[in-house]
Amino acid sequence: MKSHFHTRRQFLRTSILGGAMAWTVPVFLERTFCALDAMAADSLVQTSTGKDNTILVVIQLAGGNDGLNTLVPYADDAYYRVRPKIAIPATSVHNLNDYCGLNPNLTGLKALYDEGHLSVIQGVGYPNPNRSHFRSTEIWQTAVDSNKTDTNGWLGRYFDSCCPGEDPAVGISIGNQAPQAFAAKVPRGISFARPEEFRFDLRQTAKPQAANAFFRSANDVETMDGSSIGMLQGPNSSGGDTLDFLHRTALDATLSSDKIMELVKKSKAASPYPANRLGDSLNLVGRLIAGGMSTRVYYVAHGGFDTHSNQLPTHERLMKELDTSLGAFSADLKAQGNFDRVLIMTFSEFGRRVAQNNSNGTDHGAAAPMFIAGGAIKAGVHGSAPSLTNLHDGDLIHTVDFRSVYASVLENWLHAPVEPILKRKFTTLPFV
Amino acid sequence: MEIVLPTNQWTFYAAAHLLNRAGFGGTPEEINKLYAMGHEKAVAFLLNPGEETDLFPPPELTTPSLYYDRQQAMKELPEEERQAFKKLYQRDEGDEISAVRQWWLNRMRYSTFAAREKAVLFWHGHWASSIDKVRWPFQMWQQNETLRAYAFGSIPAFAKEISRDPAMIKYLDLNSSSASKPNENFARELMELFLLGEGNYSESDIQQSARAFTGYRIDQKTGAFRFDKKQNNTDTKVFFGRTGKFSGDEIIDIITSQPRCAEYLAEKIWIFYAGTPPSPTTLSYLAQTFRQSGLNTGHLMKSIFLNQDFYAPSVVRHQIKSPIQWFIQTCKTLDIPLPKAPHTENMLRQLGQQLLAPPNVKGWDGGRAWISSSSLLLRYNMAGQLVKARSNKENSPITAPNIDLIIPPNTTPEIALDSLGKRLFQSPLPPNLKEKSLAFLEMNGNSAESRRDLLHLAMSTPEFQLT
Repeated sequence: MKSHFHTRRQFLRTSILGGAMAWTVPVFLERTFCALDAMAADSLVQTSTGKDNTILVVIQLAGGNDGLNTLVPYADDAYYRVRPKIAIPATSVHNLNDYCGLNPNLTGLKALYDEGHLSVIQGVGYPNPNRSHFRSTEIWQTAVDSNKTDTNGWLGRYFDSCCPGEDPAVGISIGNQAPQAFAAKVPRGISFARPEEFRFDLRQTAKPQAANAFFRSANDVETMDGSSIGMLQGPNSSGGDTLDFLHRTALDATLSSDKIMELVKKSKAASPYPANRLGDSLNLVGRLIAGGMSTRVYYVAHGGFDTHSNQLPTHERLMKELDTSLGAFSADLKAQGNFDRVLIMTFSEFGRRVAQNNSNGTDHGAAAPMFIAGGAIKAGVHGSAPSLTNLHDGDLIHTVDFRSVYASVLENWLHAPVEPILKRKFTTLPFV
Repeated sequence: MEIVLPTNQWTFYAAAHLLNRAGFGGTPEEINKLYAMGHEKAVAFLLNPGEETDLFPPPELTTPSLYYDRQQAMKELPEEERQAFKKLYQRDEGDEISAVRQWWLNRMRYSTFAAREKAVLFWHGHWASSIDKVRWPFQMWQQNETLRAYAFGSIPAFAKEISRDPAMIKYLDLNSSSASKPNENFARELMELFLLGEGNYSESDIQQSARAFTGYRIDQKTGAFRFDKKQNNTDTKVFFGRTGKFSGDEIIDIITSQPRCAEYLAEKIWIFYAGTPPSPTTLSYLAQTFRQSGLNTGHLMKSIFLNQDFYAPSVVRHQIKSPIQWFIQTCKTLDIPLPKAPHTENMLRQLGQQLLAPPNVKGWDGGRAWISSSSLLLRYNMAGQLVKARSNKENSPITAPNIDLIIPPNTTPEIALDSLGKRLFQSPLPPNLKEKSLAFLEMNGNSAESRRDLLHLAMSTPEFQLT
């Protein structure tokens, strides 16, 4: 593997410097791979390694997390009145102030809070809330007003406006499908549930070695000599660019895939992770960060929060999973020395109805809290707690627009201009 | 002026190009059949292969009247039961939209009139509507049948029918557009996306014409179009400099008589089939003949398929396959059936083209937008799933191709690889791939497994993403 990289880089450097085949060199290549590779020191081209850059990790709690049982308003009688069977007893809550506190299963998060590494933002939502999973998720992903639509996501717009070049690894999503938040004018971002999926699959292959060699040479710049291009495109080649574009993308794919596989194999978690899917995903993200990927945004989804009936045991498990995974991830990042570079943000498409339903569960609601964690954030409880009695159609009325949270992250963490991304200004919050 | 492809340039490869672009490609035998007809007859055959017995019975769907009856019945139920029924119906809706997709994909794969299905795919991206907003699978199917009925028809009649199409009425909010509060959504897209293109009308044209399309409703009980006179604005409108009490149909007549209309659509349709914009002279010829035909799209497509520019080296094998094209063309050229429904749906969703759910009213962006490093690797790995499926089991979701048909075993490697090139690329095997393929066969032998590997590898290339 090493020698492969080495040869390839020599080849590429010759090309870059010689300029003879500059059109085949992936734009992002030096920055992502040459510069980050352990052998970068011998590179003649000085580039930013991306090692100093801040990183955003987004955790989606899909299905609509019950905000009131996550950040519990233990001092509010109204809470106990409308949730006779599913309220969390005040005595077991981890108090954050004299009104609310964390779910008893969130001990790891409480510890982070106490050491100054966790912020909670209360009552986050948006005007005219929509109770459809699909539509509300779309609103959070695209960051538009609830009566508008947009194809591109807020992170995609961030890639478009702030990450020039064609680095496909600028955003990595752990999951089967890219989140709509990544949708962009120039499609970028990589998604895979397991790193093995983001590579050419040779499992059913009779002659894996020979097949791999064939695959690499057919999807590499080295094959793009003048003759093959001329042959396929003919002399009149406005569309010659199309095949060139495909070859460059193929090279992007194989190289990113190589890099990811190499990092995943090489690096080990600095501390143990719990055995659940969120833990696995964050473990993977931890290894990619440790390995020095140039990625600015990681995206992880965790499902199962749609607790319509008999919610207590389910929600308890979900809280534990979130807590132990986030705790392990933070410990891993601290051990790596990367905790100060990372901001973790959770969100869910909506909270749940204030009152419990007849099945000891809760139905789709509106506003809910968000967590912000990281080594360099300002801890605290932000925003004002939504009223439990002044409701809109049985739902909490939001006190913070979710785009204010996005704006704070974009402006003060990723150092990106907010207006081109969120389409207008939003007040920022002092959590970073 | 019209420049038809010279007879001596009508080759097997030209016929393959025509079959790929007008339809979804085919086996070398099908290409040969088309080639033998000669260019003009081949085009005429594709655009009208004669009546076929309908092999594709419509999917079983919940009709609007059944929806209506259900709604009525549900009103009587207590809240909890109503929620339970709602959930049940939602699952049905998921199954039904999947059935409509399968029905259409089967038509693409098997119909002798594949060119019509390809045209329907164009129109689906043109007069786009999505199940996400329309909700009822029945209405998406109904719209699909309308697209099929007018696939080669005249634009003014087509546009009028679309303005009465229940799915479109829902999708662009015509059903809430009333005399006192006209909704401009449909009127805007009618000019911006459907008939003229941005910059060829004024904001006032939109506001004025939006009033003409008020009162377009869907009958609750039958699901059919209903014109509600009381909700229709009958005031005088000023539209494209003309003054009158125009109806929606009259508005469409005025728009389609704008010279720009023919040009806009001719260019868009050319780009869909050719993959690159037409030269100015070709476009002006196409627009002119399109206008003279009364905006008959069948006539326009025939002119495109005969035109020499359509066979230019910058056009042939220069279009990135859409996921649908990649998928259907692969099944047709490898002569395999479509994988079972859940597999097919999953593949197409992952590749970014879910039928009946285009991302927005502009349809799919297409071209390079189909390709990212993730989607390219997905295509490569899905090719592997199609080629290497273990289909000896009954009920296997994917049937692998007969490899002897694709890379014949009992012949010289050169002949075997020519056969592979013709089938996969409809061209000689690209030289860099030929060299590697020869070496691969020499090193790994001629066994079915190693030939299957080679087929997968040849499909896992940038070149295979082009048609």
